[in-house]
Amino acid sequence: MTRPVKLACRHVWKLYGPHPERLVGKSPSLDEIRASGHVGAVRDVSLNIGEGEIFVIMGLSGSGKSTLVRCLSRLIEPTAGEILYDGEDLLKASPARMIEIRRHHMGMVFQHFALLPHLTVLENVAFPLEVQGMARPAREARAREVIALVGLQGREGHYPRQLSGGQQQRVGIARSLAVEPDLWFLDEPFSALDPLIRREMQEEFLRIQKQLKKTIVFITHDFDEAIRLADHIAIMKDGAVVQVASPEELVLAPADDYVRAFTAHVSRAKVITLGRIAVPGVPADVAGTLPAEARVEAVAEQVVTAGRPFAVEREGAVIGHVTPQAVIDVLIGRGG
Amino acid sequence: MKTWPLIWAGLAVVALVLARAVAVPDGWLWPPQAMHLPLARWISAGMAWLTDSAAIGPVTVKDLTRGFARLIEAPYEAARVLLVEGITEGRGRRATTIVPPLSWVAVTVAAVALGHYARDIWLGLIAGALMLYLAVFGQWDSAMITLASIVIAVPLGVAGGLGLGIAALHWRPFERVLSPVLDLMQTVPTFAYLVPVLVLFGFGPVAALLATVIYAMPPMVRVTLVALRGVPPEIVDFANMAGCTPGQRMRKVMLPVALPDLMVGVNQVIMLSLNMVIIASMIGAGGLGADVLESLRRLNIGGGIEAGLAITALAVVLDRLGQALATRAGGGRGAKGNWLRRHPRTVLVLAVTLISAAAGYLIPAVQDWPKEWTVTTKGFWADLMQWINVNYYDQLEALRNWTLVNLLIPVKDFLLALPWPFVLGTVALAGWALGGWRLAALTGALGLFLAATGLWEQAMITLYLCGVSVLIAMCIGVPLGIWAASGETAGKVIGAVIDTLQTLPSFVYLIPVVMLFRVGDFSAMIAVVLYALVPAVRYTAHGLRSVPEELIEAGIVSGATRGQILRKIRLPMAVPMMLLGLNQTILLALSMLVITALVGTRDLGQEVYIALTKADVGRGLVAGLSVAAIAIIADRLIGAAAKGARERLEGGA
Amino acid sequence: MTRMCLARAAATATALVLFGGMALAEVESEDPIKLTLHDWTGQLITTNIMAAVLEEAGYNVELVQADYLAQFAGLETGDLHVAMEIWETTGREAMDAAVAKGGVVNMGETGMLAKEEWWYPLYMKEKCPGLPDWKALNDCAAAFATAETGAKGRYLGGPVTWGGFDEERIAALGLNYEVIHAGTDAAMFAELESAYQRKDPILLWVYAPHWAPQKYEGEWVEFPPYEAACYTDPAWGSNPTATHDCGKPFGPIWKVGWAGLPEKWPGADKAIRAFHIENDAMGAMIAKVDLDGQTVEDVVNEWMDANEATWSAWIAK
Repeated sequence: MTRPVKLACRHVWKLYGPHPERLVGKSPSLDEIRASGHVGAVRDVSLNIGEGEIFVIMGLSGSGKSTLVRCLSRLIEPTAGEILYDGEDLLKASPARMIEIRRHHMGMVFQHFALLPHLTVLENVAFPLEVQGMARPAREARAREVIALVGLQGREGHYPRQLSGGQQQRVGIARSLAVEPDLWFLDEPFSALDPLIRREMQEEFLRIQKQLKKTIVFITHDFDEAIRLADHIAIMKDGAVVQVASPEELVLAPADDYVRAFTAHVSRAKVITLGRIAVPGVPADVAGTLPAEARVEAVAEQVVTAGRPFAVEREGAVIGHVTPQAVIDVLIGRGG
Repeated sequence: MKTWPLIWAGLAVVALVLARAVAVPDGWLWPPQAMHLPLARWISAGMAWLTDSAAIGPVTVKDLTRGFARLIEAPYEAARVLLVEGITEGRGRRATTIVPPLSWVAVTVAAVALGHYARDIWLGLIAGALMLYLAVFGQWDSAMITLASIVIAVPLGVAGGLGLGIAALHWRPFERVLSPVLDLMQTVPTFAYLVPVLVLFGFGPVAALLATVIYAMPPMVRVTLVALRGVPPEIVDFANMAGCTPGQRMRKVMLPVALPDLMVGVNQVIMLSLNMVIIASMIGAGGLGADVLESLRRLNIGGGIEAGLAITALAVVLDRLGQALATRAGGGRGAKGNWLRRHPRTVLVLAVTLISAAAGYLIPAVQDWPKEWTVTTKGFWADLMQWINVNYYDQLEALRNWTLVNLLIPVKDFLLALPWPFVLGTVALAGWALGGWRLAALTGALGLFLAATGLWEQAMITLYLCGVSVLIAMCIGVPLGIWAASGETAGKVIGAVIDTLQTLPSFVYLIPVVMLFRVGDFSAMIAVVLYALVPAVRYTAHGLRSVPEELIEAGIVSGATRGQILRKIRLPMAVPMMLLGLNQTILLALSMLVITALVGTRDLGQEVYIALTKADVGRGLVAGLSVAAIAIIADRLIGAAAKGARERLEGGA
Repeated sequence: MTRMCLARAAATATALVLFGGMALAEVESEDPIKLTLHDWTGQLITTNIMAAVLEEAGYNVELVQADYLAQFAGLETGDLHVAMEIWETTGREAMDAAVAKGGVVNMGETGMLAKEEWWYPLYMKEKCPGLPDWKALNDCAAAFATAETGAKGRYLGGPVTWGGFDEERIAALGLNYEVIHAGTDAAMFAELESAYQRKDPILLWVYAPHWAPQKYEGEWVEFPPYEAACYTDPAWGSNPTATHDCGKPFGPIWKVGWAGLPEKWPGADKAIRAFHIENDAMGAMIAKVDLDGQTVEDVVNEWMDANEATWSAWIAK
């Protein structure tokens, strides 16, 4: 399943220090960067982000993931490279064009919500539309729609400080969606929330995405979150991308020890899809049909309870079946 | 590090020997004539050029500044019409009022309503009561003149501060230039730039207003920078992602988000504007400041105290309302309904204004507080002064003489006997010890500037008066601060006294001090100590209070007594904060020295004052810059020491 | 501003209808004549009387607070127009300098005479019976001494800015005294008040017209009378090698104006030049303000009502 590329970056560098421009032409190694008194926040990153997919950038703090996403949205000017949005190089766009793109095509959710404390929920959500110059009745009507989408009806008149963390981030999400962006950046949106709320918000996020099908760049330091949400994950370390892969590939074939350290404790059932464990042929007594993209964990109970095999199909075509035993093997970590 | 105490002790011994025994050759005691730069002449010439012939194209600088003055005069006139004069017809004795200014009833009700809006009815009542004080003690008319200039000066100061702050935020080179300029604006005594302001902007209230703005603006610039830098980076990112233009980003996002912090700056502008009231009245501002000066000139001490307290009352009203509005910023929406229902207070104030204006034609007491109803305590103060004077003068005189003979005169002689290269070396060495060669270069350069101005003797006298005063202020202030931090009641009582001391114009106690201690350095010292005491107390108390509770608990668990906790935990932890207090004390003492020139000191302050009365721009600015140089040396040295102390504490923790 | 002007214009129109007959006299220019105010009562009274008289003549007058010496900068440029009291004793130097530069004209005497000299309260005569003769000063230097001055007598001089040549006088006359400068007028009289309450010794610079000689009983020290030669020619007087071996100059209080004034407001110029008032009248008014607590405004109004004949002559065409 290949999607058209919505956002891509080519050899993006962001160096901090006395002479970043001079250094970047030499494609320096990490040691060379450090030795010359520079900091390599983003090093030679190239990515393709497909339309309608959730692309997660995962890394520990200081790995450069926040800098990278800000380069992608050009909040930070990269030292070198290209950022291609629908084939247009954003780094060559004029300030006016950039404002235009951000007003109509981009939305962003922030780790600490970045709500404006002096505005109500309604005014906060309507803010990006106000900036565009939309008239009050129109922008407030649109804001009410998105507020309903995130389930905050009835709180339009509240101020951010009167809301819980989870509710505040719902406002942040609603606000970023108000302009109907094609590109949706989420910078560690759930990191500041309690674990229970985080879980709830992730589900909410998946629900909304199912409905809207945005192209999403999602930043997190939480590997569990990454594999739960991602279509593709880029793992970053010291400013460079170590591996880009689907969660499944990542767990099954980590590129190096660094990635392996993350994947070692991940329950495989969370990432392995039925497509991978399906065996060819379809027995007569199948209990039903399941999609190949479904993860084992999600369907395990259904399959085991039924006690019979399920057919597996991809894009409408049956590609094989899975047995309850195969599912149990994955669950307890045998074989695979 | 261990060798420093030895080096300092050695230097002290050398200093004593130099001062006592050795005959210093000519040119070593005070900087030789050949070193003097004719700075004063240059500045005066530059100023003359600026006012007489400088021009940008066809427009001369003077036209420009005068045009600016007229621009400000318009709103100021409007404020005066509203608060003071009303609309009148005819001139002088034949003038008749057609529309009266706002009545005392209307202004008082407005103060109550604003207090209620900003916080609650109690604040409203306090504001109202203080306004009533102005009416009851017969200060109303003057207070309104002062208020009229404050309501123009404060927005100007705030807008100017915001503008400069924003410019500095966006343009780094500008910030680098601005920062030392702000240092100078805050340390050059106000007297020093009154004359240039007069020359450029003409005589009259507008010049006074502008001098006030110059004095009150620097904190606003600094607060603006800090507040805007303090806007969370995520919010700035959000503003960009929402597609804000740079203007929208500033107006709709940064400024509103930074508003609570910015209000701190607004508050500072208000307080400093009120501090300037008296000095501004020397160049024509009128109002309460003029009343204070006038009363003191006639030795009407009670009158001076009453007018001074009226300034304090105005300051308290504006300060409290300002703070309440700041914490309220971004508060909830009011009631629903039509405009009348949503703005009950505005409606009330408008109604009272109209009704009192109408009623004023029938019952004059509604418009102007009747003279017969005014209360005064003037007799009491005069009698009190006389009683102290007649009964305790001998004791006071003994105290004065003892201090003069044992402290002031020896210190003065000592400092004046030190050769200037030695002083310069010591200052540079201190800079090196505390902050490395850059600080040493700065303090050394500033010291050299002092030597080159030809005001070395005055500078040394300034150093002596300021040094002794600061020492005494710290000796009194630190124990008071410890006491204030020891309990809630003590803290409140001392806090109230300190607040009053800070807002009560120093002129008010200058004259009684002279009556009891005569003209001279001792009186000056007392006035300086009273004024500079405030930060010593405040910072000590604050430093002690903010010692982490855990550390105190650790002390208690280890079985330390209260005294031990104070000595071994609280005080050492509070040292960085106390050093900041010392820093502020020095700066306040220096600013006060210029005012004590009015009771006959012979330091740089006197030099500035003489220049003021002779309208000598160059001489005043040079002396002012010399004061600033001393202030900056002290500020940087202590700042470096405080930083070192903090790093040691944090490193050790 | 425009709205205010409109309001004023409308009001003027109404006033003209109501008081048709009382329309003010034509004046040469509607621009305000700016008179300077300083910080002593006598000057406030003088200036307010002048302002009231000019207003009676129909001029637009504005009173501006300005420093006594700093005002010359404003007078030269025409920012300010009239200064009512420039004392021979303290302001002569600045006045002459400004007149020499052009831009400022001397508008004649006010009729008041300035006097300033060393002064002591009457009770000091008991301790120093030879007074007021200056020769007695050295004999009772001890009576005027304090801890600060040691064996020397203490003389409280005016603020440094007043000049006065007291150090030179002490040296020239061989007086065993030290000058302690007060920073301001107020500080100086604060000390006098304090000492007077306790009947303590004090010797200080007092000037007249002022409220102090009215309030406190005392006398001026009598030095050899001033002559111009005394200040310039060492040969003059008792000390053949020094100048300043005499008392301080007495002299008129002058009126000073902007050089453009006679041309712009000839009528006002005439009135200001005509202004005349004498020491006694002024002393009485100062006492009413400073000692009886009346306002300057009331005292001025009283004078205007009582002396209509006098001031009418100043503004008569």
